[in-house]
Amino acid sequence: MTIAAMPRRTSPLLRRLVGFNLITAVVLGAIGYYLGWWLGHQVSVAATDHYADTNQNDVALFLAYGLAVVGFLTGLGFLNYPVSRMLGRPASVAAKDEADGWKRYVSLCTDHKVVGLQYLIGIGFFLLVGGVNAMLIRVELLRPTPNIWPAGQYLTLVGLHGSMMMGMMTSGILGPFANYVVPLMIGARRMAFPRIEALTFWLLMAAGVILTSAVFYGGFPTGWTGYEPLADQANMGMDSYIVFFALVGLSMTLLGFNMLATVFSMRAPGMGWGRLPIFVWSVVATSALNVLAAPVLVTTLTMVALDRTLQTTFFLSSSGGSPFLYENLFWVFGHPEVYILAIPGFGIVLELLPVFARKPLWGYRLAVSGMVGVALLSFFVWQHHLFMSGLNANLRPFYMLSTELISLPTGFTFLCAMGTVWRGRIRYDVPMLFCLGWVFNFFIGGLSGVFLSDVPSDTTTHGSFFTMAHFHYTIMGGLIFTFFAAIYYWLPKMAGVQLNQRLGKVHFWLMFVSFNSTFAPLFVIGALGQPRRVVSYPKDLQFLNQWVSVSAFVLGISMVVFLANFVWSLVFARIPADPNPWHSSSLEWQVPTPVPVHNFDRIPVITAELYPYGAETTAPAAEPLTVGS
Amino acid sequence: MVVVVSNFGKKLAATGLVLGLFSAGLAWYIGGYLMVTPDSVASAATSAPATSELTLQTVAGLGDAYSQPTWVAYLVKDAHGVWRQSTNFTVPANSTVRVTVLQYDGASGLRNPFLARPEGVVGNTIEVDGKAVQAIDPALASHTFAIPGMHLVVPLEGVADDAPDQCEAAPCGLEKAHRTITFSFHTGSRGRFRWQCFVPCAAGFIHGFGGPMQTIGYMDGFLDVV
Repeated sequence: MTIAAMPRRTSPLLRRLVGFNLITAVVLGAIGYYLGWWLGHQVSVAATDHYADTNQNDVALFLAYGLAVVGFLTGLGFLNYPVSRMLGRPASVAAKDEADGWKRYVSLCTDHKVVGLQYLIGIGFFLLVGGVNAMLIRVELLRPTPNIWPAGQYLTLVGLHGSMMMGMMTSGILGPFANYVVPLMIGARRMAFPRIEALTFWLLMAAGVILTSAVFYGGFPTGWTGYEPLADQANMGMDSYIVFFALVGLSMTLLGFNMLATVFSMRAPGMGWGRLPIFVWSVVATSALNVLAAPVLVTTLTMVALDRTLQTTFFLSSSGGSPFLYENLFWVFGHPEVYILAIPGFGIVLELLPVFARKPLWGYRLAVSGMVGVALLSFFVWQHHLFMSGLNANLRPFYMLSTELISLPTGFTFLCAMGTVWRGRIRYDVPMLFCLGWVFNFFIGGLSGVFLSDVPSDTTTHGSFFTMAHFHYTIMGGLIFTFFAAIYYWLPKMAGVQLNQRLGKVHFWLMFVSFNSTFAPLFVIGALGQPRRVVSYPKDLQFLNQWVSVSAFVLGISMVVFLANFVWSLVFARIPADPNPWHSSSLEWQVPTPVPVHNFDRIPVITAELYPYGAETTAPAAEPLTVGS
Repeated sequence: MVVVVSNFGKKLAATGLVLGLFSAGLAWYIGGYLMVTPDSVASAATSAPATSELTLQTVAGLGDAYSQPTWVAYLVKDAHGVWRQSTNFTVPANSTVRVTVLQYDGASGLRNPFLARPEGVVGNTIEVDGKAVQAIDPALASHTFAIPGMHLVVPLEGVADDAPDQCEAAPCGLEKAHRTITFSFHTGSRGRFRWQCFVPCAAGFIHGFGGPMQTIGYMDGFLDVV
């Protein structure tokens, strides 16, 4: 019997498990971790003395995390393609096809629709973890003195919550929704770089796990900002924060480049810049911020890692460095980051309002200039975070004015939103409710921001719960509300099933009321002087804090309602969604559900404006209409 | 007998499994890290009315028997006379607490000389090796025992660098080089008070403020007045 004729003895189960998939990735990741840890204890570097004194080997942990990520990505199969190209095999964009079924969702897949759904579940999971951390914070603050866990653990909890939300949610809209719908909206068959698209997702998942692991290394005391010199003094949990945010930054940069390349080079014929869907414009503005701001973060964190391992002194004033350098570099990234979170929300609101108000988008060019204006100005405001740091007082007027100036292009978005719904035939469906919730929340967030941009009022509100309330109104009230608007709006296309609308409305009202009941009192608490990140507070603030905590628990319950709706609708009920339940004229709704692997049989030609609602015809603005299979 | 499980049942079981795993993970996450804090050790009652005693020691490094062998730490003597690594203490309300600190660590020096003067102690005086003093040389301070919420500050003088027979692992016996600091303070009404060392004494960490200075169970903790 020849070898070729011999029957294969590998069991089917084993064959299924051995290969490039999530199981292999986890195994190789674990091997990489232990290899790095071992190597870190073998190498002799300047940090050895530090290790002997402190009993903490940061070199080992950085190597462990680094090799764990390499092992994880190798296990998923990210090296297969470059290796096969080096061996002279032909180029291909496909890593998985439809035949792989559900397994596509737990492995490297180059279909932008699969990546979008992977992002939705992955980010949703970490959003849940961050939300649980928030609940734990509010449990602790039920009493004015340390109650359940000690101050150090409380600080770590705050840091984990902030970092998880600010890090993972940077891709909260671009990850699930832009990846899924942008190629469909612009008439493309795929993203420009499908493997990079998949890489951005898996990097983010690795980052989330690494941040969560900080609790096993003593946590970290800096909150999400990682300020120096505290970051240099911190336990090994700080290394988890550094690797987490560096991976997030890398993912953001690659995601931004991919989005820009896709929109710039793969638009369907006839889709000029003046016909680009407004959501895609928000993706372009955000992606530009991603590629310009996120590399600063990665570089800065690399410098922190070098300070903690190779004993460089970039940020140590005692050795010629400067902690102010860190604070400036961080906010050069950090303030654009705020708009990386906000602008996609603008795009979703402006994309959805015409659909539910049955009117064309009012002021398309104004809306575009507003988003681009915010993106540009966001690089010139960062020092308002440092008004109280002792910076040169002569710098304050410029940054105060530039910060106030940014409210102008932000206001354009409001004008366009108001102009669009004005005298419209509004349908109060769940996505619309979340968009209207955004209008209210972001308005409060914007108004309270003025007090923080003005130097005189910032001197009393800086670092207090007032600041905390402000940014929760802008980020949770802005981003998270639009995140849910997008889920309710696009999930019928993405998953082929409709979420229960009644439960959706319960979710919205519970969330809207409890959100405001949670964060509005924090303005008062902050104005009365309670600082953020501190576990104890004066006894006379206990009632307000208890009110906030109870409201926060109701906010948590609203998330449980959503989760129940999500699981019920997707797993149990599975009521097939109408192909175009919102009667939208946008291209993504003109393809069949489920969307074919290659989106369009023939690339459509865009022949008309995109928002013709209320006009005589609401026919799709594309020819031929035989899009899809 | 063949048990037929419907599709619905399979989905229900899978959903329950996922939720169960998530809940278990969450409980482990909370229990495994957030709740970890040293037990509180009560002060010992004395024959004098409304008076109790707390006996502490500070060590430069805990030694290999502990999870952080190189970290500086406080230890406390419990009711059975056993030294335990804890910085959470329980004392009676509206009473006098007499504290004895056996100081085995060397001097690091205070950054703020103001803290070299005892505050909030009975008689504004502490005893160092049996001698009453109202201030110590800031450069000779090894640690402080300070409770800001009670306006209590006690500087602890360190062992000389060249002292013979220095202690290398906790718990340290009286035969090792040490200083003995005693003082008393009055507790007020019930409450929980944070206490900490204000000398940046975490060797190896930048500016001496990392590791044990940030971790309950080493250089800071809580005083529960009950």
